[in-house]
Amino acid sequence: MIAETLPRVLIVDDDAAIREGLAEVFERSGFAAVCAPNAAAMDKILADQGADLVILDLMMPGEDGLSAARRLAGRGWPPVIMLSALGDDADRIVGLEVGADDYMAKPCNPRELVARARAVLRRARDGDAAATRAEAVRFAGFRLDVARRELTDPDGVLVALSTGEFRLLRAFVERPQRVLTREHLLDLAFANDGEVFDRAVDVQVSRLRKKLERSDQGELIRTVRGEGYLFTAKPTPG
Amino acid sequence: MSAARPRGLPIAAHLALLVALVFATAFAVTVTIILALPPRPPDVMRSDQIVSDFIDGYRAAARTGRAPRGAGMHWTIHEAAPAIPSLAAAAPVKADIAQRLDIAPDKVALMGEFVRRDTVVFRVQRTHAEHIREMEMHIATDIVREPPVVPPARETPAPTPPPPPRVVVIGPPDAPAPPAPPAPPIVFAPAPPNVILLSGFTLAAELPSGRWLEMRQGRNDEEFGWILRAALIVGATLLVLTALALWFARRLARPIQTFAAAVQAVGVDPKSAAVAEEGPRELRSAAGAVNAMAARLRALVADRTQTLATVAHDMRTPLMRLRLAAENAAPEQRARIAKEVAEMEALIASFIAFARDDSASERRVRLDLAALLQSLVDDEAEAGRDVRLVGGEERLVIMGQPLGLKRLFANLIDNAVKYGARAAITVRREDAAVVIDVVDDGGGVPEDMREAIFKPFVRLHGRHGENVSGAGLGLTAARSIARAHGGDVIVADSPHGALVRVRLPIEEPIKTAG
Repeated sequence: MIAETLPRVLIVDDDAAIREGLAEVFERSGFAAVCAPNAAAMDKILADQGADLVILDLMMPGEDGLSAARRLAGRGWPPVIMLSALGDDADRIVGLEVGADDYMAKPCNPRELVARARAVLRRARDGDAAATRAEAVRFAGFRLDVARRELTDPDGVLVALSTGEFRLLRAFVERPQRVLTREHLLDLAFANDGEVFDRAVDVQVSRLRKKLERSDQGELIRTVRGEGYLFTAKPTPG
Repeated sequence: MSAARPRGLPIAAHLALLVALVFATAFAVTVTIILALPPRPPDVMRSDQIVSDFIDGYRAAARTGRAPRGAGMHWTIHEAAPAIPSLAAAAPVKADIAQRLDIAPDKVALMGEFVRRDTVVFRVQRTHAEHIREMEMHIATDIVREPPVVPPARETPAPTPPPPPRVVVIGPPDAPAPPAPPAPPIVFAPAPPNVILLSGFTLAAELPSGRWLEMRQGRNDEEFGWILRAALIVGATLLVLTALALWFARRLARPIQTFAAAVQAVGVDPKSAAVAEEGPRELRSAAGAVNAMAARLRALVADRTQTLATVAHDMRTPLMRLRLAAENAAPEQRARIAKEVAEMEALIASFIAFARDDSASERRVRLDLAALLQSLVDDEAEAGRDVRLVGGEERLVIMGQPLGLKRLFANLIDNAVKYGARAAITVRREDAAVVIDVVDDGGGVPEDMREAIFKPFVRLHGRHGENVSGAGLGLTAARSIARAHGGDVIVADSPHGALVRVRLPIEEPIKTAG
């Protein structure tokens, strides 16, 4: 079967038009798509065929998306992207806190959803699974709340991160003490935007460095000449 | 919410003040009563004792030239004879003194309150030997010596020593007084016949130097001890009572304090724990009322949350369908549909955000406002909009709600790039506040609209009179968030474009390590 080679995405939504529309978009982008109208059907498909990724609607009759996402996160596999009609920051945080890997609000750009799906799959494949799933990590006195996208400095002051800075920092934190090339970082942190240059990585890194300069462990992001960047701290879950 | 402390003293302080006032008054009245009582009359003294005290003092004064001290008397030395009226009954005493001091009797003055002999009985303790001798005398002789009426002043150089007082024995009546009785009994005796009794007296005599020595029986010192003891006891009682009252007042006020805190918590978040129904009865019923209100609020909030979620779902699901359908359309149509959908979505989002009013429930943390603004500006710049941040190199730590503040400034930046082409944000500190100006290069806000635009659903037209997208809720939300942080948002004067000024109170600068 060709499906063996293609990543399998399971779309769970009670609205048939959305299910089919999404399936079409995903299939066109090189995924194998399966659909389920509710959580019970999702469980059946996961048990029978499995999936590499679940796109999960929040509000469904029967078991709602949050509780289904929590169950899947507890199992550890497959990764989940919540797709919800509740698009507030607060809702997004709740979704990420129950263990979803990403969260998008309806209506979204379908191609952005596909891009995020790719990013989630990539992270799930090559990232440190524990670090990826951790709600928060600590390093060098800082604390990064992944769900809230909040960085708290050693003085306990919340330092807001831009979306780019957050993604970059998460990429570093998930791959500590490893040299990451600009291309790799672009791939990890700017997955949804094709128009970013290498230079943008340098700009983001220098901004991030400024926000991390309160560390007592010296430079946390070191430049490796001719290769890329290295995150020197050792993050711990918490 | 760290609202300013309400004016007025706490109940405990009121009670404590009242109690302190009552006790202080009670104390003052008690002391006044004690002090206003007529002083205890001076002790009655025997003239022989007075004379012997005076002669001792006189000799000392004659020797040193200074007024002696002691004997419970006030001693003074006068340059001239003090004006002391004479007391007829005291003449023999004066004569006695004059004789013993070897001065003329008119150089002695004595006055005082004469006390009849038979009204006073002295308690006398004598040595055993004296007692026996007196008993023998009493039994052997039946002489009752008549008191010398007026002893001849000068003719008798040898004064008769005061005779042994007649003794009334209150003891074994007919004991033959063997050497057996171990302790001398206490006897009570009236003054001897030639001894007069005086109280409140003044006695003076001329010293060899010509000055006069005066001895005055003072106020009874015993009295001061008594007053002091009374005052101490009253004072100590009042102190103990005050402490008890304070404790009680605090105990009374504590449930009111916890009540206030609990009501405050319910006001901020109806889902917080119920107010404990304890303490005084009035408080219990108030707590009950607040809990009933909180329950109704909870039901209301739950209803509203449910309604909003349903509305969001029902409106966004068709939009999502539309967006997916657009994927099959021609690229230029797809872009147009996407734009309309995004606009529609923005409207729905602002309605829902307005109706939800998350500002009350989000937690407050210490956050760096400069970093927050920088991150917003970076996000805008990444989205290709011309937004710049001026200032904000220093950390600006405030207490605030990260999502709420992000929404506040995102709304202002949104407006700026909607009505103008670019936005500039300046940050600066002013005393205990951070002032953030968001300036655009649009048409500005007419003077008469500067307050009105903060009302819900009020929108301005664009520079060229065109309609501008949006629900007209951005500034309303921004102001409500700023006010929840103890700050405000206003539209200020600006030479060109609109200037929206946010003022937020700053936290005390934290000490930076190193």
